[in-house]
Amino acid sequence: MKCRGTTRRGFLGTTAALGALGLAPAWTTAAFAQTGGTLRLRIDGDNDVLDPGFMTGGTEIEAQKQCLPFLAQYARDGDTFTWEPTYFVTKLEQRDATHIDFELTEDLVWSNGYGPVMASDVKFSYERMKDSDWSGYFDALDHVEVTGDRAGTIVLSKPFAPFIMITLCHGPGAVLSEKAMAEAGGKFTTSFPAVCGPYTYEATPGQRAVFSVNPDWTGPEPAFDRVECNVITEVKAAELAFEAGELDCTEVGADTLARYTKDMPEGTDIAVAGELQYMWMGMNTEHPKLQDIRVRQAIQHAVDVDTILQGAYSGTTAKSHGIICPGLTGQRDSAGYSYDPAKARALLDEARVPGLELTLRTLNNQERMLAAQIIQANLAAVGITLNVLPLDSGPFWEMGQESKGDTWKDLELWLMRFGTTPDPYEATQWFTSDQIGVWNWERWTDVEYDRLYEEGINETDMQKRHDIYVRMQEIMENTGAYVWINHEPEAFVHSTAVGVNAAPSGELNYRRFIRA
Amino acid sequence: MLYYLTKRLGLSAVVVCLVVLALFSLLYCIPGDPATIALGPRATEEAIARYAEKMHLDEPVWRQFLIYIGNALTGDLGLDVFSDRPVTAIIMERIGFTLALVGAGMGWAMLLGIPLGCLAAVKPNSWIDRITGVLSVGTIAVPSFLVSIWALLIFAVHLRWLPAIGAGEPGDTGDQLSHLILPAFAIGLSWVGYLARMVRASMLEVMGENYIRSARAFGLRPRRVIFGYALRVAILPTITLIGMGFGGMISSTVFAEIIFARPGIGKLIFDAVMARNFPIVQGAVLVATGLYIFVVLFSDILIAWFDPRVRESL
Repeated sequence: MKCRGTTRRGFLGTTAALGALGLAPAWTTAAFAQTGGTLRLRIDGDNDVLDPGFMTGGTEIEAQKQCLPFLAQYARDGDTFTWEPTYFVTKLEQRDATHIDFELTEDLVWSNGYGPVMASDVKFSYERMKDSDWSGYFDALDHVEVTGDRAGTIVLSKPFAPFIMITLCHGPGAVLSEKAMAEAGGKFTTSFPAVCGPYTYEATPGQRAVFSVNPDWTGPEPAFDRVECNVITEVKAAELAFEAGELDCTEVGADTLARYTKDMPEGTDIAVAGELQYMWMGMNTEHPKLQDIRVRQAIQHAVDVDTILQGAYSGTTAKSHGIICPGLTGQRDSAGYSYDPAKARALLDEARVPGLELTLRTLNNQERMLAAQIIQANLAAVGITLNVLPLDSGPFWEMGQESKGDTWKDLELWLMRFGTTPDPYEATQWFTSDQIGVWNWERWTDVEYDRLYEEGINETDMQKRHDIYVRMQEIMENTGAYVWINHEPEAFVHSTAVGVNAAPSGELNYRRFIRA
Repeated sequence: MLYYLTKRLGLSAVVVCLVVLALFSLLYCIPGDPATIALGPRATEEAIARYAEKMHLDEPVWRQFLIYIGNALTGDLGLDVFSDRPVTAIIMERIGFTLALVGAGMGWAMLLGIPLGCLAAVKPNSWIDRITGVLSVGTIAVPSFLVSIWALLIFAVHLRWLPAIGAGEPGDTGDQLSHLILPAFAIGLSWVGYLARMVRASMLEVMGENYIRSARAFGLRPRRVIFGYALRVAILPTITLIGMGFGGMISSTVFAEIIFARPGIGKLIFDAVMARNFPIVQGAVLVATGLYIFVVLFSDILIAWFDPRVRESL
């Protein structure tokens, strides 16, 4: 049969064209419609291990915060970070230096029929952490005493002031169902054996993780029924996805932060979670070229940190005066040295090191390389020739560690950045005497510093803690081995339709997002 | 033909073994302790020991290689170091996305490039030929990652005609097709130029052959002469090129998959290399190599099927 005026080829062509037209509305709506109640975010990779004991961290902690109970959560008190009890507890009190009492909220139930959340679950969860990859956070834990179905006491083996702040508020402080864990074989990876929180979790590897409303949840309802976290490895790709309207919020790099700050697009805002990163230029005090403290002090005076902040970070980061980050107890107001090339030259003359040539090692990313080049120019101005040696993360993180070879012997200068939790204790732990050849690559020791480190852990008086940590940074600075550079922010760009909630270290807490 | 196939399959097995050996050597040449990089600089000793055990890092390299080959021969590509999931399952989840992307990229390039090449050859030195020539060289010269970024900026960010990231809603074919358009455009664009140039050159050569002149002399319609006789012969080197290009395209999908945040083999390998997740790297490269060899073999068989001269010489 043949229709008049219609050829087979014509028919096929017309059908294909109509088919394509038919698809068009489907894809446009699928891609761009504002899906009511859905929050669209980015994660930088698959969540491989959701188990708090064996996770990598990052977005795995974000997932735990939506699906598991925590006893405490971060809060802001003006410009400083503090903690508050979560919905999961009716009581969380530090009775004395080694006892923390808690009482769980009624009607909290685990999914999959694992019954109510009990104090024994808290005991199981925290005591198992002592044998986990995150055991460091539980060093001070002795045991958890169960005093009732929903009540108990966390007993510490020694006073540890930051326990609630850095352990209970953070990922390792998640509570698991003891029964569900027993059935799961004691560990889990890509799915929770049981959840108790506003969301359930489901992931499509390589594509997304989806959080849907938990039907068993009796607590406060989250602002969004569904949270879609798309796997986007690269920050730049995520920024473009945000600009294309496909994400409601995403982390941004320094250059984009500067661009947005200067010219904020309509319907967009910036949220800064915290600035818990501290970057410095370190010097090996044992290296023959740097043994003379006058040389090190000359370098402190020779580096123009303000230019680095503008040139490498577009003015988006806070100037650092030590290792304690903004918002934390013990942050210093100023450093004990300043940019003074004349003084640097005088110190070098005094030390009699003409034609000094040094090597600066750095990770090979854009900001660090720019910072290194500025330092190179600064040092050239006072007569020091600086060679910049960019490194991949593998060799970079090993170069000061004695257990990884002999590179530490050749180490002269390096640009380093550490991240920390919202308590000063963690930042100071890497520079004690026992850290020489581990993370104290500057290789100095100080008895007073070690003593203050222990005192800081035990001290609960805020003013005394502040004084301790300020003094510790002064000791560090007086070695001449540090040029403080900056505190990079964890910054997020977001639609003004949503209010962001993030931990000071940058993990997003979807359940605490709000509709603006 | 059977002898030819057996010979080619044997050769393929040797190639796969060499690739695995080279890959093994390269992975161990990467500076830095894999455990430190994979688990982060502050990983505990226990975690590092567990990682080393899983990766057989405490065994000599030659033994690790033999363990791997032995397992691979039984279809066991090992377990993902972090999630403990079978590598084979992880690869199978992603490979469809890469094949769809490569198929769509090469598909549209063929649909446009081959007719353009024919048109340019049929009307040599005409304005169509010149425009085709300029466009072909132009598209070949632009790298696919640049096209990806431009396409994303123009069609997704600025115009918002097409989606920017992901592979689309699972189960929604329309949505998945819409997510395929930009990455397929990006990786296929340069192939439009390659194919047009190749077809044009082959066609010009074939159009000068005696049998084409005879066909014309017999009064056959130009369309029949071009598509029925000339293109059938001229397309043979292009098929080889497409076969090779298909393999090359698997490599170039890495950029597209990263920029468009699509799941796929390329992105899987990239992420695994960055995380020093060796079982994934080895498994995914092995599968990608096998795929490449299969496509090249398939294109050779296709040529033999098209061309009796080749068939008889096998």
